[in-house]
This record gives sequence, C-alpha cells and structure tokens, in this order.
Amino acid sequence: MVDFPPLNKISRRSALALPLGLAASTISNNFVKADEPVRGGTMVMIVQPEPSTLAHYAVTAGNIPPIATQIYEGLVTYDWDQNPQPNLAKSWEIAPDGKSITFKLREDVFFHNGASFTSADVQFSFMEILKKYHPFAPLLLAELTGVDTPDATTAILRLANPAPYLMKALAGRDLPIMCKSVFEGTQILQNPSANKPIGTGPFKFGQWDRGQFVRLDRNEKYWKPGLPYLDHIIARFIPDAATRSAALETGEAHFAGYSAVNYADLARMKTNPILDTTMKGYEMTPALSVLELNAKHPPLDKKEVRQAIAYAIDRKVILRDVMYGYGQPATGPLSKLFKTVGFYTDDVRNYDVPDRLDIANKLLDGAGLPRGANGMRFGIHLEVNSFGEQWLRQAEYLKQALAIVGIDLTLRSEDTATWLRRVYTNYDYDINEPFLSQGVDPVYGLNKQYLTSQIRKGVTFVNDSFYSNPEFDNILNEAMREQDHDKRAALYKKAQQILAEDCPLVWLIDVQYVSVFNRKLHDHTTGPLGTQQAFERAWLEK
Amino acid sequence: MRLARYIGYRLVTALPVIFGIIVLNFLLIHLAPGDAASVLAGESGAATPEYMEELRHKFGLDQSLGMQFLTYVSNMAHFNLGYSYRNDADVSGLILERLGPTSLLMLTAFGTALALGIILGLLAATGRNSWRDNIISVISLVAYATPGFWLGLMMIVIFSIGLGWLPTSGFDTVGSGHQGWAEVWDIGRHLVMPAVSLALFYLALYARLMRASILEQTGMDYVTTARAKGQTERRIITGHVLRNALLPVVTLAGVQAGNLIGGSIVVETVFGWPGIGTLAFNALQSRDLNLLLAIFFISACLVVIINLAVDVIYVLLDPRMEI
Repeated sequence: MVDFPPLNKISRRSALALPLGLAASTISNNFVKADEPVRGGTMVMIVQPEPSTLAHYAVTAGNIPPIATQIYEGLVTYDWDQNPQPNLAKSWEIAPDGKSITFKLREDVFFHNGASFTSADVQFSFMEILKKYHPFAPLLLAELTGVDTPDATTAILRLANPAPYLMKALAGRDLPIMCKSVFEGTQILQNPSANKPIGTGPFKFGQWDRGQFVRLDRNEKYWKPGLPYLDHIIARFIPDAATRSAALETGEAHFAGYSAVNYADLARMKTNPILDTTMKGYEMTPALSVLELNAKHPPLDKKEVRQAIAYAIDRKVILRDVMYGYGQPATGPLSKLFKTVGFYTDDVRNYDVPDRLDIANKLLDGAGLPRGANGMRFGIHLEVNSFGEQWLRQAEYLKQALAIVGIDLTLRSEDTATWLRRVYTNYDYDINEPFLSQGVDPVYGLNKQYLTSQIRKGVTFVNDSFYSNPEFDNILNEAMREQDHDKRAALYKKAQQILAEDCPLVWLIDVQYVSVFNRKLHDHTTGPLGTQQAFERAWLEK
Repeated sequence: MRLARYIGYRLVTALPVIFGIIVLNFLLIHLAPGDAASVLAGESGAATPEYMEELRHKFGLDQSLGMQFLTYVSNMAHFNLGYSYRNDADVSGLILERLGPTSLLMLTAFGTALALGIILGLLAATGRNSWRDNIISVISLVAYATPGFWLGLMMIVIFSIGLGWLPTSGFDTVGSGHQGWAEVWDIGRHLVMPAVSLALFYLALYARLMRASILEQTGMDYVTTARAKGQTERRIITGHVLRNALLPVVTLAGVQAGNLIGGSIVVETVFGWPGIGTLAFNALQSRDLNLLLAIFFISACLVVIINLAVDVIYVLLDPRMEI
C-alpha cells in the first residue's frame, strides 16, 4: 500500500507526454483523474482456469461469474453490509407471513438483443430455468412454488414456506435473470445462448476465442446512465501461474481476482510499483478448507478418533506454509465471514489448545487404539484434492502431523474425475480433502454438507461423511424457515456447537482470496461480491 | 506410375489400421473411471441426482457401451466428429480453431529445428574436434538437457519483464484491431518465445544425430573410393555423404512429426498458446470423450500419412530402396 506523492506522479507522466507536445494538458488532466472516472479503454482481466461454458444459469463453477456477471444481472445487488440494494428490481416487499416477495421492476431496461425486460422474464428465469437447472436450486429455490406477474413491472415470488436466505441470493452471481424470448420453446440446456450469453448487464458478449480470451463490449444502451466507463473487457486465460504473474508485472493484464496469482508470487507483486493487491470483494464468498472423515470406515466411526484428528493438526502451520499467511485458522463449521450477518460463533469446542497433542493421544488411547511396535496406531488413506498443487502440500503436512499421534496416513493422488467418482459415488475413501464454498447464507454451506437427507450417492460435494444427527437436522430445518433474525442466529449457534462436538469434518482454514490489480485501474472492487459482480464503474487511467 | 500405385496401396491398407485405432481408443478411454457429468457437477459444487441423470442422458452416457460405440462409429463414417457437451460446441469447430495456431507454432519450431539442426550437425562433423565442433556440441548438449518450461519462463523473465521486448503470452494482442502486416508482425512477436523454446530441444537432437551420422558415413568405403578418384572434400560431402547421412535424420523427424498435431502441452501452457495439446489435456481431465477421441483420430491419421511420406522421401534420397 505505497502511496506515491502527487508530485512524483506528475513528473513521471509529463516526462512521458513531453515528446508528444501534450505536457501541459496531460498534467492538468492528471490532477482530475485521481478521482474522476474516465470513459473508454480496454481492461484485461485474468480468469483462471478458462470456463468450459458460459451457461451461468446451469453451471456454477467459480470461473464463470467473473465473465457472466458482466452480462447477466440479478434483481438486487448488495452493499458492503450485505443489505440488498435496488438493481433490476426498484423495490420489494416481503409479506408478513414470509410466503411471498413482491418485486417492483424497472421499466427502462433492455436485453442485449433489444427485447425489453418485464416480469415475464423474471417468471421464466425462476420457474423454467433456475428452478429446473440451477445446481443450487434444491437449496435456494426449494420453497419457490411460482412467480405471479399481475403486470409487466410486478413479479411476486410465491413460497411454500418462508425462505429468509433467498434475499441474500438474488444478485446476478447467484440467481441471474435471462431473456424469456431467447429460451422459450427451446431445450434449455442446449440453447445456443449458452456460450453467447444475452443479458441486461453493462457489457455485451463479443467474442470467445477458446484457449485465449473472451471479449466483452460496452452496452451502449445500459440502463444506468453514463455507465459503464470501459469500452471493452477482455478476460484472458493463461494456464501457467508464473506467466499469469508475468502478464500482470508487464502491464499486459490489469486485474486478477480469486487468487489467480499464486500465493507464493504475491510478495513479489506487492513490491512492484505498478501493482497493488486487495483482499476486499470476497465478503460474500466464504469458503473453508476441510477434511471429510468417512464415518462408515472404522475407526473413523468413533467420535473420539475424529476429534483426535482435529486436535492433532496445527492449523497455524497450514496457514503459514501452505497458504502463505492468507486466511485464518478455521474454528468451526462456519466461516468467520458470517460474523457480519451475525451467524458465526466461536463459542464451540476449541481444537486449537496448547495441550492438544496430549488430548489427541488420550482420546486415541481411550478409543482402544494403542500404538503398535512401529509407534503407529492404525493406517488410513487421504484422497488428495486434485484442484491444485497447494492441496498436495497440505496433505504432506497432514501426514506428518497425524504421524505424531500415531496415525499412519497414506496419500493418494488421482485426477479429478477418478477422485470424484471414488469419493462421492463409490465412497471408497477414509479422509477426503475438499474445499467447501459456503454460499451467501448458512443454509447453503450447512444443509448440503451435514443433513441426513443430503447423503446422496453419486452427487458431488454433499454429505459424504455419513453424518446423521436427528436433533441437528431439526435445528437446521427450523432455522431455514425462521424469519426472526435473532432466533435464527441462536439456532445456528446451537447447530455449530453440535457439529464441533460431533466432529464429522475437521475444519482447517478460513480461506482468504486475493486480487492483484494495476494501479491504473480504479473502482474495480465496489461491493462484497467483488469480481463476481459487474465492472460497470471500473475505469482506466489514460 | 509405380510410385502412385504404391501410395494408393498404402492408403488402402491404412484403413483397417485406422479402424483398429478407433476401436482401441474408444475402449481404452472408457476404462478411465469417472464421467463428464460428475466432473461438470463437481465443478459446480452441487447438483441433484435428477440433474446428473439429465446430464448423462444428454451426453448419451446412459446408453450401453455397445450402443455408444455404434453411435460413435456411425458418426465417424459420416465424417461427423461429434459434439462436445462440456464445451457446448461442435468438436470439429473446437479443433479447427486450434489447428491454425498449433500448426503455426509446430511448423515454425519443427522447420527451424530441422534446418538449423542439419546445418549445425554438418558444420560440427566437417570440423571434427575443432573449436566449431566443440561449441556446437556444448550448445546442443545444454539445449537438449534444458527443460522446455524452465527455458520458457526464463525467456519471459528476461525478454518480457526485464527488457520489455516481447509479450509474455497469448496468440496476438487481443482487441488491438491490427490488420494486414501489423497483425502478422503482432503474431510473430507472440510466436518467437514459444517457437524458440520448443525448437531448441529438437534442434539439439537433429544436430547431434546429423553429426554422428556424417562421421559414420565418412568412414565408409565409398568415401575412400571417391577420395581416390580425386574429388574435393566439399564434393564428397555434398555429392555422396549428405544424402546417406540424412536417412536417420529423416527417420527420426518422421517419428516426431507425428507429434505435430498433438502440440506441446508444456509450451502451450507456459505461453498461453491456444494449441491442441492443452485442448486434449483438458478434454482428458474432464472426460470430454468425443473431443478426446477426435483428437486421437486426427493424430492417428496424421501419423499414417507422415509414415507414408517418410517412405517416399527414402526412395527419393536413396534410389537403391525398393518400393
């Protein structure tokens, strides 16, 4: 966070401008541009890896929204306190019984194909596309029974039961609005607009050269007057991490979010005078790295053994040596980011205590697992996460840490398809090392991971540890429909305490993403959704 | 005439080979555990069983292996390479997009390596144990032993970050709107580093092989005879030795030319070059079978054609060869 004194700034620029004979005007412009946005320019951002599709409504891989949210918008957006703000919807009203939400829509919005945006698009998007094909629909839209459209600018979401979490998930990232006339009467999953998306957003889809880039063009008819500032956004795909860093260092790329730059390179980036970093813009993207323990595989069926594993791991070592200090040790099943909305608690069983190794050894002794001749109590396998090298480094540390308490860990690395099949379909694993995105509300992260009903063979990233606790299930189901915020928070507190005690998973690191950006690029991170919301206000210094 | 008949005969006999390759590829690929639907759902982080079923139905994965095979073979018979569901695009389009950049990179690198390799090998062999030979040998040894990705990254550090002469990656400057010669120049600037880092390895290989091959030939009786006839050393090398010495180089080049279409995953990855290598790698990772099979199929055809071309070149180089 080095601030250059203004004088320095002027002299550097004017030196460049002099040969063009424009020194005077350039200097005067420079004074304004520090806070005055400039129209025009092409912003290059790095997206890693290249998305396989832009069908944002049917695939929720994390590399799609940075592109798709420039094109598709949601009914609302969110301020830094994560309160909904008007977007495609001008205003809304939640019925006292919580079973309907009435949205008043803007009249002056057009899709990129010229069609005007009406309540019919909202109805079609929710009922015919999102409810049927969005991967999160079983969680977020389970209660949605219909959308009424009394007139063109009113859409009423009808719910079977109150769904307080829904108001957190209406941004373009989570529940985007598509154009009815584009999709009507077609096979939704085969629609040609999958890779040529048509939305209402500040940028229109331009071109996709696979293996290279996606080009987005300014939407001249965007409904927010004067916006966006940029003419184009280019999303570039560079598979090699070192080359991605180099592209930022040479100024070829202006922005890289979602830790597209390796944590290892960040220290070097920070010393580069043209670059800066920020950890903002990820407030609504909580994620934990965890260990899933297969309760069907003895001795992991014993609570004491699972707790011993949780005690045996020093999260600070993982944070320092694997995550390069970015993130925080996880204290329980919810990310600390839920503190802002009041759902997080650290008043749970604490696994990070000074005498944790003694406790772990005692628990394992008590579970009837004495050390053998070689000092080991038993041996189990760890399935190494295939989504990047850092997971192998974490696995190597885990092997050392568990050996200290007498657990002999064997690491197994397979490619993504094989790994997913082994863990989520065949359940042929002891410990799994996934990375869990927690969504915008505890409903998302907790329900799918821990509810008994979410033990679903063949479905990825659901309850594969066979955790089943009827008392806990009841609490979650109650919390899901509770409209009173404080009562809801109390229920989630209880839920977190039960989970920490039962220890179906071991929570390791509360993940912190980092964005690297060129100092010429301004106003790129304007809300808690960060890279996953439109760059309508971003602008580039000339 | 005889040559034309020979080529025709070889092409006809290649058909069963290619069919065999199609069958083998199909079976091998289905031995890999996991399928495209689970990878797609895995990346999404969540999915319902119904949704996964629908995906599998859409991908045709719910049919028996025999049915899938029949569909595949019948598509191939109609010159239809199929549809990549993962990419929501036609396989032929996906491959065609990459074919240009891949051929440009590979032909540049391969052509440079072959031409320079032969010349350097010749220079080294004719000045055996001189300073010229020693320098060429050391350079080719270093180039042969240097990993391509390291060389690529070092070039980026020096020429892009340090000197600012060349762009770090990509095929051209996106959104620059270059036309005509400006675009050629732009692509050329992007091509330099990937081509060099790819060419150096092959160059070293051909230079070493060429040198050894010439030295072996110069010990032959026919060279002694030519010398006894009073021919100059220059005439001996160009008129007698060179053609014979080229045979092993052509053999090796023929084998390696089969890799052309496959591209180089390492160099493509480091320089963000939109080649077929990374396309194939991603297809394998995501179990995008139609795409993967199509790439295998095209590679197989290319290998068959190049083998034939090499055999024809043999005949042209060495009239003693029978066809």
